[in-house]
Amino acid sequence: MLIPLIAGHRDRNVIRTASLSLTILASALMAVPAIAILLGGDPVAITAYAPAGLFSIGFFIDKLAAFFILIIAVVSACIALYSIEYVKHMEGESRRNLFCGCMNLFIFAMVLVVASANTIAFFLFWELMAASSFLLVMYEYDGRGTARAGIFYFVMTHLSTLFVLFGIILLWVETGSFAIASLTGAPTLMVTLAFLSLFLGFSIKGGIIPFHKWLPYAHPASPTPISALMSAVMLKIAVYGLIRFLITVFSPELWWGILILVFGTISGVLGVIYALKEHNIKAMLAYSSIENIGIIFMGIGLFVILSAADLPLLATIALLGALFHSLNHAIFKSLLFLTAGSVIKATHTRNIEQMGGLIHRMPKTAGLFFVGSLGVAAIPPLNGFASELLILIAFFTSVTEVEPLVKVLLFVCLALFAMTSALTTSCFVKAFGTVFLGMPRSARGENAHEVKALMLIGPGILAVACVFLGLFALQIIVWAGFSVPMPDMLLVGLLLILMLVLTYVALYFTSPRTIRVSDTWGCGAPSQKAGSEYTAHGFSQPLFMIFSSLYRTQITNDREFYDEPRAIFKSGTAEIRLLKVFEEYIYLPIAMQFRRLATTIARIQNGCLDTYVLYVFITVIALLVFLGWSV
Amino acid sequence: MIDPIIVTDLIRVFLVFIIITAAYIISTRNLSSLVTVYAVQSLALVFIALLLFQIEGSTTLLAIAALTFTTKVLIIPHFIGTIQEKIRIKSDIQFHFLTPIKSLFLSVVLMLVVYITFVEIMDGASAPDDLFFFGAVIGISMMLMGMMIIFSRKRALTKVLGFLSMENGALLFGLFITELPFMIEFLVVIDLIILVLLTTILIVGLDSTIEDYHERLQRFHLWEDDLP
Repeated sequence: MLIPLIAGHRDRNVIRTASLSLTILASALMAVPAIAILLGGDPVAITAYAPAGLFSIGFFIDKLAAFFILIIAVVSACIALYSIEYVKHMEGESRRNLFCGCMNLFIFAMVLVVASANTIAFFLFWELMAASSFLLVMYEYDGRGTARAGIFYFVMTHLSTLFVLFGIILLWVETGSFAIASLTGAPTLMVTLAFLSLFLGFSIKGGIIPFHKWLPYAHPASPTPISALMSAVMLKIAVYGLIRFLITVFSPELWWGILILVFGTISGVLGVIYALKEHNIKAMLAYSSIENIGIIFMGIGLFVILSAADLPLLATIALLGALFHSLNHAIFKSLLFLTAGSVIKATHTRNIEQMGGLIHRMPKTAGLFFVGSLGVAAIPPLNGFASELLILIAFFTSVTEVEPLVKVLLFVCLALFAMTSALTTSCFVKAFGTVFLGMPRSARGENAHEVKALMLIGPGILAVACVFLGLFALQIIVWAGFSVPMPDMLLVGLLLILMLVLTYVALYFTSPRTIRVSDTWGCGAPSQKAGSEYTAHGFSQPLFMIFSSLYRTQITNDREFYDEPRAIFKSGTAEIRLLKVFEEYIYLPIAMQFRRLATTIARIQNGCLDTYVLYVFITVIALLVFLGWSV
Repeated sequence: MIDPIIVTDLIRVFLVFIIITAAYIISTRNLSSLVTVYAVQSLALVFIALLLFQIEGSTTLLAIAALTFTTKVLIIPHFIGTIQEKIRIKSDIQFHFLTPIKSLFLSVVLMLVVYITFVEIMDGASAPDDLFFFGAVIGISMMLMGMMIIFSRKRALTKVLGFLSMENGALLFGLFITELPFMIEFLVVIDLIILVLLTTILIVGLDSTIEDYHERLQRFHLWEDDLP
């Protein structure tokens, strides 16, 4: 699979096709044992490298690891299939070999993280995942904004790695072991710090607000298959890490769950609110991912709260909801990213305001995007609805069982969760409507045409998976050995179809049969133009006004005058812009402080030999003093 | 044979003399006298090696004395002295971090720190009034004083003398505590000679070849071919 890396500068498409075909094969081979373990097979333990001492590299695949390996396998196979055609149209010629090789390395690293049996292996492969994904983000290194996105991603991903490492070290200090094994007794201060550190590390990687800012930069800057892989799979590795440490290592306390739930809820709500204002299709999908990871964190937080409240059955439902939503989000988000990539390839723009009318030029892509939109908007009977329903059931059932203060918190989170779902629907109505419906808003939209078959088959499989996972949600959960109080989605689906048929029949027989062909009324204009269509901005305007306090606009007004009393106006500029709240109030001030600190520290290295000899002199004196005192 | 008590007393005298020369090297601003003081300091080391030979009878000490005399008393001072005669710069009045007075005060503090540290480290293995203990303390102090010269003086030539003084401290420490194998001492001395040779280049600029270096010296009137 790493053949393209070995091939170097030889720009042969056959090498890349062979490599990506092998990726599909390897994904299929990975999926088979993963399914076997999920259906009750024995866990697999492999020791890869075990020299004497503490350090060893080992793998352990239980049901949880198998589940996430299955997610990686399914999504990677579809993305690889899509990439066979996509890579032919990429810029960079021989650089495309590097792209294929790094993509395979990235997938491989994610599988190894999930399969790691100890924290050393976990950390090593986590870093490999971060490094290979950074190279992929930087693929179009000369593109506008790519360098900024790359640096943002590099800093944030390594901040995440740093916190994960810190958590691992704290666990080692507590236990003296690098094994991912259960801790006995109530959490000590060291264990609590380890949890907080790991939580921060996984939150940064998962894009939880306020650590999310790398996502809306990195996703649009990356090639489409990488955006899809990062959003659909890599974010789930962070989810896996959090769940793995929570259920295998720690004995979580109630406040841990509250912390996870609160961060999840904030991410869910703000993620979709920010998605609403985005008109860059990839950035919008990135914000939607933040929202969905927020929902998954809500499920995990609820699981911890209910476990601490000694309600194991409800806790299991919450965790199942979180896990099932991880799978579903991986499926529909990769589908949405791939179809968005097809649209971008056809129109050469990411701005949805310049699209429109693509349903006539790219009907198959439009159909696939529609299925993905239904999935992400949690419309029954698709998969997004099934998993969100599980989390909602856990919420509804548990609010009567927990103590009053927690009850209040759960009610608030439940209300916000419901609002999130409604806003997501609105967001994707806007996205689908602006991109595919109406008339083309630019020449780019007019000249677009449908993509090749291979770029439809991969997303097509994912679309079928969306429907399948939705309709057979209950059956899948029962096959996995769990019992949940949720309706049979197959029946719900059939009822919905029946309702649609009945509505059609009723309309067919009651509506007048005369057919009238005319333009839509356009305020008296003789003919309709694309410019008079409802825009994405216009669609979002009411929501903009409702959430204006969250968006935080800034009005700048610079004027120059000819005279001192400022009476005769010369020139001026006025601007209303949306503030990048987190970037301008959190990230940049912190970055500035670090810059100041770095400037101060840099003075130590002043390039003067005398100063360096002085450092040696001071060190020798310090050593002498230390030696005298320590003896 | 000289009486061992007299030998010991003589060694003490030479050790004190070495401290005085080290203090002079730290504090003087006169470049031309620096080399002479360094040569005298090295000569004192030669005497100490010879006196120690009287006590211990090891022939290595004789070899060290001979090597030190040849290189540090004759060759290196002669070479640096020749350069000094050619170069117009006669004094060193530019300092970094420490002035000579502060350096002297710091040297006293350093000696105290080294003394206290050695008392703690030795912890009864050797009495504080022991000759070897005294030699080791002065050896380490000299090394630190030499390092102080390196970072507190701006002239390259003074820096080199600081380094040479440091090496004398190492030799003194080696003579009293952990005698260095003769071969290593020999190699260190070769290093010193090469260092002194390279210093001539460093004084004007690292980017010059030997020919270019001569030309540059002439151009900046730093080299006098026809001395009066």
